[in-house]
Amino acid sequence: MSEIPGVLPFQAPEGDDAELAGMVSAMYAATPPADSGAAERCARAVLADGMHAPSRGGLGVLRPRWWWGAAAAVLLVAVTAKPWRARAVVGRADSAAAGVAQPSGAVTQVAGSEAVRFELKLPADAGAVNIVGDFNSWDEKATPMTRTRGNDTWTVQVPLSPGRYVYAFVVDGTRWLVDPLAPQVADAGFGPSSAVIVEGGPQ
Amino acid sequence: MTDAELVARTRAGDADAFGALVSRYYEACRRFAYHMLGDRSDAEDVVQDTLMRAYRAIARYDERDQFRGWLFRILTNQCRNALTARGRRTRRFVQDDVALEQAHAPMAGLQLGAEHAALARALAQLDPLQREAILLKYAEGLEYTEMSAITGVGESALKMRVKRGSERLRVMLGTRDE
Repeated sequence: MSEIPGVLPFQAPEGDDAELAGMVSAMYAATPPADSGAAERCARAVLADGMHAPSRGGLGVLRPRWWWGAAAAVLLVAVTAKPWRARAVVGRADSAAAGVAQPSGAVTQVAGSEAVRFELKLPADAGAVNIVGDFNSWDEKATPMTRTRGNDTWTVQVPLSPGRYVYAFVVDGTRWLVDPLAPQVADAGFGPSSAVIVEGGPQ
Repeated sequence: MTDAELVARTRAGDADAFGALVSRYYEACRRFAYHMLGDRSDAEDVVQDTLMRAYRAIARYDERDQFRGWLFRILTNQCRNALTARGRRTRRFVQDDVALEQAHAPMAGLQLGAEHAALARALAQLDPLQREAILLKYAEGLEYTEMSAITGVGESALKMRVKRGSERLRVMLGTRDE
């Protein structure tokens, strides 16, 4: 042990008392022994309690660890909140229109008329896009959209009186696509769809 | 067969090997617990608990340690726990000073010869940590390094406990030879 200059080292007392030690030792030796069979009973109890073999070195990983609680909490959050799927809604829309990557839509009310302009931007090549909804009885052919602005944007104007309408897009007659920017509504039997509210006066 | 061989066999799943270790150390553990706790049945409970813990933890036993020392480390802890639990019980249920005095009538459960009774009584009145140090030093005959490994307490503190404990015992026995 290194000594610090100027500081007296702590002197542990040598308090051993040989005579007392002899007395304690004699008393200890005079301890009445356990009744015969006590050790055996104890061994049986210990081994019965540990019917499972004692954990070996290799199984040490199964020993409870302090961080198990934290790991369980992280797992719970991951499973329930799915933080990596923040774009789950868009992701589903994408998969609904396979091959169509990240479409974007827009709905604008045409000023001065009772028409609503629907716009859908489709990055992928599409042959035809129609709009379907409760305003055209979900007829996939009733309201075709027209391609504008190069090749990727499809638009249509639909005359709509004020009210709430549910709609979706149909790409190439088969693939239904919800408007990624509009609120989605419960499936009314035609697949996922979006809703639009046309304002102006009582419905 | 050495302790190390019995430990290795226990780890390999041989329950009888641990049974052999139990019969080898049961009496030593029981005697220590008996004097620490001053009660025969408490001592047997503590020893059984100690051996169960040792059996479950045998994978964590480091072969470089003496098995006896490792076992005593668990044992001293269990004795402390038992004394703490007993202290709680006593505080909770015994409010009467007279009853408390009688309940502590030391080592009532120890059946020692008359020549040892006074010492046992005095030992029972010591502070438990002093009693632990005195028993490990004088009764088990351990070195301070071994005691330190068992109790997790520094050697200086242990020497102090033995010294103070010895002085108190001398006073209680009325045999201070000065």
